[in-house]
Amino acid sequence: MANFTILDVLWAVAFLLLMVGGAFFFYRLARRSESDFFLAGRGLPWWLPASSVFSTHTATDTPMWVTGVIYANGLRGLWYTFFTAWTAIGAFVSARIFRRSLAYTQAEWQTQRFGGLGAEMLRGWMAGWQVFMNMFILGWVGIAMGKVCALAFGWPIWVGLVLPSAITAFYTLAAGYWGVVMGDFLQGIVAIFAIVLVSLVGVSAAGGPIGVTERIVAIGEQWRLDAFAFTGWVDGDFPVVWWLTMLVISVIGGFGMGTSIDWYVEAQRIQSAKTVRDATYGLWAGGAVTLIRNGFWAAGILAFFSMLPNIADAADYELGWFRLGFELLPTGLIGVFFGAILAIHLSTISSHLNLGALYFTRDIYQRYLKPEASERRLVWVGRVSTFVLLIGSFFYGLMMEEITRWLIFALWLMMAGIWLPNILQVVWWRFNAWGYLAGWMANLGVSWLVVWVLPAFGVLPKLPDHLQFWLLLALGAVVFVPVTLFTKPEKMDQLLRYYVMTRPIGWWGPVHREAVRRGLIEKTAAKSTESRPVIRRTWTPQQADEWTREDWIAVILSPLVFAALMIGVTKLLLLQPGGLWLVLGAVLGTGVIYWVIDPKLRAVSGEYEAQQARYVEQLEQRVRWQKEGGR
Amino acid sequence: YSFGLGLAWWSWHGP
Repeated sequence: MANFTILDVLWAVAFLLLMVGGAFFFYRLARRSESDFFLAGRGLPWWLPASSVFSTHTATDTPMWVTGVIYANGLRGLWYTFFTAWTAIGAFVSARIFRRSLAYTQAEWQTQRFGGLGAEMLRGWMAGWQVFMNMFILGWVGIAMGKVCALAFGWPIWVGLVLPSAITAFYTLAAGYWGVVMGDFLQGIVAIFAIVLVSLVGVSAAGGPIGVTERIVAIGEQWRLDAFAFTGWVDGDFPVVWWLTMLVISVIGGFGMGTSIDWYVEAQRIQSAKTVRDATYGLWAGGAVTLIRNGFWAAGILAFFSMLPNIADAADYELGWFRLGFELLPTGLIGVFFGAILAIHLSTISSHLNLGALYFTRDIYQRYLKPEASERRLVWVGRVSTFVLLIGSFFYGLMMEEITRWLIFALWLMMAGIWLPNILQVVWWRFNAWGYLAGWMANLGVSWLVVWVLPAFGVLPKLPDHLQFWLLLALGAVVFVPVTLFTKPEKMDQLLRYYVMTRPIGWWGPVHREAVRRGLIEKTAAKSTESRPVIRRTWTPQQADEWTREDWIAVILSPLVFAALMIGVTKLLLLQPGGLWLVLGAVLGTGVIYWVIDPKLRAVSGEYEAQQARYVEQLEQRVRWQKEGGR
Repeated sequence: YSFGLGLAWWSWHGP
């Protein structure tokens, strides 16, 4: 499909050298300690985690599935990509709580939120799952790259699977997370450039924005330009009930940890930010740029559809974005385009290699096998496990080449089945380790029942995914709610330490009152005597630790801004009515959020950073099973 | 299906 000239090859090689060399350059920083190799020393300004969130989110198969949903559904297909919007509320809620926990991984967080044997088993459970899951994701995106290289160059599939991943492993192994974020930053810039360029070239080739619209109207399918082209309340391809379920999963999911499969990746980015404020802005900006990316893609793909509206086979039309790039770009720019495809691929591979190695090194090797290991030894284990993950992913990729789509459905089941426990663990003090573990166990059994056993015996019809979600949620709750209530709450000392450190949102009344009684936190002013400005602009540390109306303004506005950005960008590029207003509204909304929340985030960060060194020391004592020196 | 859990139980060291 691609017509490469010498100039194209030179451009592609130049990009590759820049991206790999730029990342490798940081290897001296990475070898200093475990904290450097996996969190860049917890010192990154917000724009580095933000670019890493965006770059990791963008994999080689992402333009395929985004093209697939837009080609099949028109503009409303953008809502299928809106699951990323968990970052809208997540940035202001779960990111703040997780960053204050200082946990390297979600598995480590489990042992801070919960205590005793139950929490320890949860940590091992999640660590084993995540080591496996990262190998699975590496195999999945590796195979996608194999298919793209087969399409572009006619290479055998295994070449595209092995070669780019091995190049990525070279700098990820040497420079750890420093290499990952610096590489992601360079790769993110290249990827954005290519996505914007190819979309604009695509729209231009279809006769400009007016041409795209006229072609779509001419074939009588103007519903494709409507983001709310519902097919009914419950019937058809795009019912209202699907849309509402999607909004609940993604938007409300921002109150939890693990409600999206991306959480585990983003948690590492959150923890690498130098302050709570940087963690919040990093996740928010990463999510926003990802949705803007989808808006650009959708415009290009609608243009592709308007030129070739009759491709019946999904495997063919999913390559629409790649075809726009390879077939419409002039000599030289095709090389840049392939450089961008490499960038998109490398950034995803590097992140998952480092994340899988982190779970193995921190939660399995250091916690369970060698608690007394030196920093040098831990970095060495990080490098070896990076290499083992790489080799494992090759086997996995080749094994699942034909069934990837089905296994992605398994990811959905695991996300859907524990969506509610993942929120409850953050917002409800009474939820305990046994309840959460029961939620996970129940998910396996309930998924077998709902997806296969009951339909096979004709007891239950095969349900669409969005109804399956509610059934999985309800049946899971039948198991984990009684388990929670029939077992004891976590010990108050454990809850107090976690509460004072992270100040979680939600129903934490008994723990809050006990913390006040013991003098661990100051009593907050009673509501009735309180007089305060509508929007508080100056904060004491005690005031900033409470959840207040300023947080809720950010929480409510943020998803609205995300939706307006995503839909607005596509409409603006196609000169559709309302596009400009949606984008302007999103920019204004972003300004309001910043104005309202920034003083508070600065106060939270300033106060917390003063205590962070002591907290980190306690964290490192705990991971080595040592008693802590005082509180 | 994590059943890491066994390793955690074995490791679980009156900490």
